[in-house]
Amino acid sequence: MSRAKLEKLGLKLPLFPTTSVGSLPRPDYLVKARAEQKKGKLTAQQLTELEKQATAFWIAKQEELGIDVLVDGEQYRGDMVAYFAERWPGFTEGGLVRSYGNRYYHKPIITGEVRWPGDTTVEWWKYAQGLTKKPVKGMLTGPYTMMDWSFNEYYPDRRAACMALADVLRQEVQALVSAGCLIVQIDEPALSVRPEELPVALEAVEKVTRGLDAYFVTHACYGAFEQIYPKMLELEVDNFDLEMSNSDLGMLNVFRSHPFSKDISFGVVDVHSHVLEDVETVRERIRQALTILPKEQVWVDPDCGLKTRTVDQAIEKLRVCVEAARSFRN
Amino acid sequence: MKLILSSTGSYPRIGDSAELQLLRRTLAAADRGEKTAADLADAESAMTRRAIEEQVRAGLDVVTDGQIRWQDPISHLAGKLRGVKLNGLLRFLDTNTYFRQPVLTARPERTGALIADEFRFACNALGAIATPSGKAGRLAVKAVLTGPYTLARYSLAEGPAMSDLESRTEAYAAVLAAEIPALADSGAEMIQVDEPAILRHPRDWTLFARTFGMLAGARDAAKKKRARLELVLHVYFHDPTALYEKLLDLPADVLGLDFTYGSGLIEKVAAAGADKPLALGLVDARNTKIEDAAAVARQLERMLPKIAADRAYLAPSSGLEYLPRDRANAKLDLLGRVRAALDGRSLGAPEGPR
Repeated sequence: MSRAKLEKLGLKLPLFPTTSVGSLPRPDYLVKARAEQKKGKLTAQQLTELEKQATAFWIAKQEELGIDVLVDGEQYRGDMVAYFAERWPGFTEGGLVRSYGNRYYHKPIITGEVRWPGDTTVEWWKYAQGLTKKPVKGMLTGPYTMMDWSFNEYYPDRRAACMALADVLRQEVQALVSAGCLIVQIDEPALSVRPEELPVALEAVEKVTRGLDAYFVTHACYGAFEQIYPKMLELEVDNFDLEMSNSDLGMLNVFRSHPFSKDISFGVVDVHSHVLEDVETVRERIRQALTILPKEQVWVDPDCGLKTRTVDQAIEKLRVCVEAARSFRN
Repeated sequence: MKLILSSTGSYPRIGDSAELQLLRRTLAAADRGEKTAADLADAESAMTRRAIEEQVRAGLDVVTDGQIRWQDPISHLAGKLRGVKLNGLLRFLDTNTYFRQPVLTARPERTGALIADEFRFACNALGAIATPSGKAGRLAVKAVLTGPYTLARYSLAEGPAMSDLESRTEAYAAVLAAEIPALADSGAEMIQVDEPAILRHPRDWTLFARTFGMLAGARDAAKKKRARLELVLHVYFHDPTALYEKLLDLPADVLGLDFTYGSGLIEKVAAAGADKPLALGLVDARNTKIEDAAAVARQLERMLPKIAADRAYLAPSSGLEYLPRDRANAKLDLLGRVRAALDGRSLGAPEGPR
């Protein structure tokens, strides 16, 4: 069904389309430039030029590798929630909160009505799409994750905050679609954290996507999917992008309990390991996927964003994805 | 009825100011090889003292060491055991924080104190602080352990010996049961056992109850040498309403509850009552919004008359490390304002621990 939708949108993708989840590592010069900009040694304009340079590098690299659906690599984004919170009225930057080990982040606080200030990601999408004829995904953080990963001092409860964020995100999706974006990814890594709130997430994502003329992907990872499956299939998107390799494909057993009715972007390489999988390892993972999923539904990509890897490791992990996927097309 | 103000466990390790970034900076320098393990221990000690000071300054009666030395709620204990190695990161329940997942390569064994040394340090640190007016003899340090079921639920096994949840839970329970007399010998009179995972997996109740019983047995044995030793069971990060009566029936001396996941728990406690002291986690430790003290006082007034005990505890819903430091501190201040709001009402003025 989703393949028909892709064709209707004018997207002619091969079997086992390859893509990546979103973030790609920053080249060293950009890491250094961001630090210098924070110290005031570089202007915002100078930093933007370097971010564009890095984006162009990754678009060219993905084309060279033969990836079918590209991402801009998020060279200009920091945290996936803070990027939007810093730009949308209604959010205030919070104090430091630990994520793990010695890593901390400024967790946003919703302190007023959240509003859409106009295009937030569209210019970057246009820039990336302008560099290639292949489709580039629009990349957004979903309303449930935005809510769950922010403090809420304004809305009466979590549901109200989530729905307000959904209204804002829908405007951003509309802007992307109006600009010509055909594939929009809405990341919901928090989807399974409170299984009892899945109906809230379903309602919010429906608010964001319903009736809009695009192919929608949602990425979720590191969650207790066994607790929300198969209900999670009611999410109003066409494709679930899931980390599969990190759990040794354990989720396939979950999917055996009920047919997986959406397309799946099947994570075939572990992004948290520096170990580089060989093509045969990835082929075996795809073979396992095909034991329960029709080939028309399967996309191939890494488990999650690759920003935690080095540039060389990320390229190699993407290369084996492409090589393994291609070997199944005949 | 005495209303005692208590910490639930963790406290932010750092703050925004340069002074409060000591631990973060020292850890980063240690990673670069510029600081030693001793430097790191010193920084942890300094921030532990600071956490205790802030709790005392906020008016708490029962403080913790803030679990400043804990990398996360799981690996801090599991990582000290023989037969356990640490794996990659996993999300801790519904938080956006992560823990290193233990892998049991054999039956885990305790080779020394898990937190007894840390507890003694906290007691000494508390003793070094000038006692606020009216608090002489009324301040106490509570030791905090993650419970065996939660440790086991988030551990993996390598090989068949520890592959089932039951074996892992029992093995962890044996280890923690051995820590209880060590804590008692170090002067602990109140040991809190955190078991958030059972709320998400109530089907494991029988196993959970049996292994909690092992800890209660260790408490009973240790009490033969000490007049005062209490076990607090604290559950959080999900609504405990459906399990309330069963939780009350467990052999804990105090039951700690998280009231932030559902509105029905207050009604439940008000209706069913309690035959032991409750630690009432009415102050949301997961959101920066500061509750209205009068509103929290009204919630307390509904429940306190139904608690058939000489005392109850008012506490944050969970550890406070999920908040920025300034907000964590504001939540502690709120506890005092709630108690002040109750002053003069029918329930009587608070007095602090027994």
